[in-house]
Amino acid sequence: MPATLRLGASLRILIGGQDEFTVEPGRSVRDTLVSLGIKPELVAMVSVKDEMQTKDYVIQEGDTVRLLAVVGGG
Amino acid sequence: MNGYGGKILRVNLTDGTVSKDPTPADVARDFIGGRGFGIYFLLKEVPKGADPLGPENKLIISSGPISGMLIPGGGKCDWTTKAPLTGGYASASMGGHFTAEMRYAGLDSIILEGISPKPVYLFIDDDKIELRDASDLWGKSTFAVEKQFKEKLGEEFQVAVIGVGGENMVPYACINHDYGRQAGRGGVGAVMGSKKVKAIVLHGTKSIPVADKDAYRKAGMALYKACKDAEGLKEWTRYGTTIVVSWCDEVGALPTRNFSAGSFENGKNLYGPVMREKIVITDKGCFGCPCPCGKYSRNKKYDNYVEGPEYETIGLMGSNLGIDDIEAVAHANLLCDELGIDTISAGNAIGWAMECYEKGIFTKKDTDGLDLKFGNIEATFTLIEKIARREGFGALLAEGVKRASKKVGKGSEKFAIQVKGMEQSGYATHNATAMLLAYMTCDVGAHHNRSWAITYDLQVGREKVVPEKVARVIWLQNFRPMFDVLGGCRLQWVELGIDRDLYVPALEAITGVHRSWEDLDKVGERIWNLTRLYWARENEGFGRAWDMPSPRFYEEAPTSGATKGQITKFEDVNRLLDMYYEQRGWTSDGLPKPETIASLGLSAVVA
Ligand code: SF4
Repeated sequence: MPATLRLGASLRILIGGQDEFTVEPGRSVRDTLVSLGIKPELVAMVSVKDEMQTKDYVIQEGDTVRLLAVVGGG
Repeated sequence: MNGYGGKILRVNLTDGTVSKDPTPADVARDFIGGRGFGIYFLLKEVPKGADPLGPENKLIISSGPISGMLIPGGGKCDWTTKAPLTGGYASASMGGHFTAEMRYAGLDSIILEGISPKPVYLFIDDDKIELRDASDLWGKSTFAVEKQFKEKLGEEFQVAVIGVGGENMVPYACINHDYGRQAGRGGVGAVMGSKKVKAIVLHGTKSIPVADKDAYRKAGMALYKACKDAEGLKEWTRYGTTIVVSWCDEVGALPTRNFSAGSFENGKNLYGPVMREKIVITDKGCFGCPCPCGKYSRNKKYDNYVEGPEYETIGLMGSNLGIDDIEAVAHANLLCDELGIDTISAGNAIGWAMECYEKGIFTKKDTDGLDLKFGNIEATFTLIEKIARREGFGALLAEGVKRASKKVGKGSEKFAIQVKGMEQSGYATHNATAMLLAYMTCDVGAHHNRSWAITYDLQVGREKVVPEKVARVIWLQNFRPMFDVLGGCRLQWVELGIDRDLYVPALEAITGVHRSWEDLDKVGERIWNLTRLYWARENEGFGRAWDMPSPRFYEEAPTSGATKGQITKFEDVNRLLDMYYEQRGWTSDGLPKPETIASLGLSAVVA
């Protein structure tokens, strides 16, 4: 079963384009981003099932991976 | 006047009298409130050349029209004064519940003037306003004093209190409130200490007149709904500002070993999820906040509770000192809060001292026997105490890194990480030119909250020096501090990404005055120029040299981490300033031109 990568509005502000990607599981978030042409460093937060993960998190079947950027800072 | 308590309270500490003036309508019109009121009163009332710790300086506490209202984040007030740390402008924002009670007591500003002959606290219960003896409170910790007042007077009383650091006038002493919120930077706590005011305790029951109640309710609800629907709400509430620790580590922005690098090899131990798992027990927020960023922690290792640590403290007391133990960072946070010193400046000063020690500039003879290697947790705790008490080696660090490094010399000035005398906050800026410029030109010294531009650096190319970056920094500097003018929190916009236009109808409903963001940005620009003029008025020869960053960011590339080998060229530092001054309408030495002052309608204010 594929997984879903959902880009939050904060990230879409930075990179434009579509807000959702269907991706294959089994690869890290970082590698997946690179393969989609998204600079990993623009993604500040990776959330899976409301838990924060690093970009080394390996995407599992059926995951919905939410990605947010930090646009404003503290 | 709709949207205002209507009164400015003046407290003359020298003769012990209090008086109230009506809030001037023209000042409310032109400067709105908060830090707008602060710079206005500072410029008008504190004479040129005043000693920051002398009787002529004033401590100006101001709420804004959304403070204490049902608007998300309406729990902020501004503390403006002449800064003991820098000799220039200080404006520190404080969250919690203080500002709401201040407004319910009918007060838009409280201005502390003169110096009391003995320790006092200011008691305000609506119109009952008294200076009371605080001799028995002097020397006590901030938490003990707050607890004592709450037990005696009731939970509804709000307390702002200084610790031993403020009493000893440490130039980066802060003011504590709500067991963990601070007016943190620039030494506002030292000014309160110089005036011998241990605490302000207040409670009010009055209502704030509102121009259009229905519209206010609707606009307030729209703002709350936007927060509730925001995509990052859950994560923000779960992790607060610690959400960015891992990202800063990854992109080389996490201050590490006195900013010698921007990534920490053991940074993972300080990341938000680790902290949440290890010590956080609940969330804690300011008045009316739907997305509480405060993390309340039970620190089993040290057997105590603390609000925090938040990102800045993790950066400055953690990675910047080579400490990878989140419980130790939380304990350092607690010590600073109890003693009333700013965690950012203190962490920065200790980082500088550790680097001096590792370079052999200090030996144990200088450090009271402390083995000040990076990562020494116990030495860090000891130094925090010594700084607040100005004891032994701590007395040197209590001066702040600019003065301390000048005294010590031996090249240590080069790694004193500060601008204008204020220690740099928690973002390493080796190759992030917009963020570097933001620090260089910030109106209080090297603080991040006026303009935060690292993501923009990453978006357009971190080493690029282009007019768009400068324009971005200026736009943020004009706009972001407007939340400190309105008396609200910026984080709902910053972190949840709610539409800033939602504040426009809310402000109009409260005050009866329509102001677009274009109008508000203009007010921000006027205030920014006034703060610059204040610096110039108070400091002979003020200009470009004052905007220079630490040489660390243009001379020494990090040898590890994400920014390994990366640096901003010195000529680019100057190019950034050239562009900045030009876009601001300032001279090539960084002073507002007469025509800029005139076009912003400021001639009368600075006359
Ligand atoms: S986001 Fe944090 S600082 Fe802002 S109002 Fe909420 S609790 Fe206070």
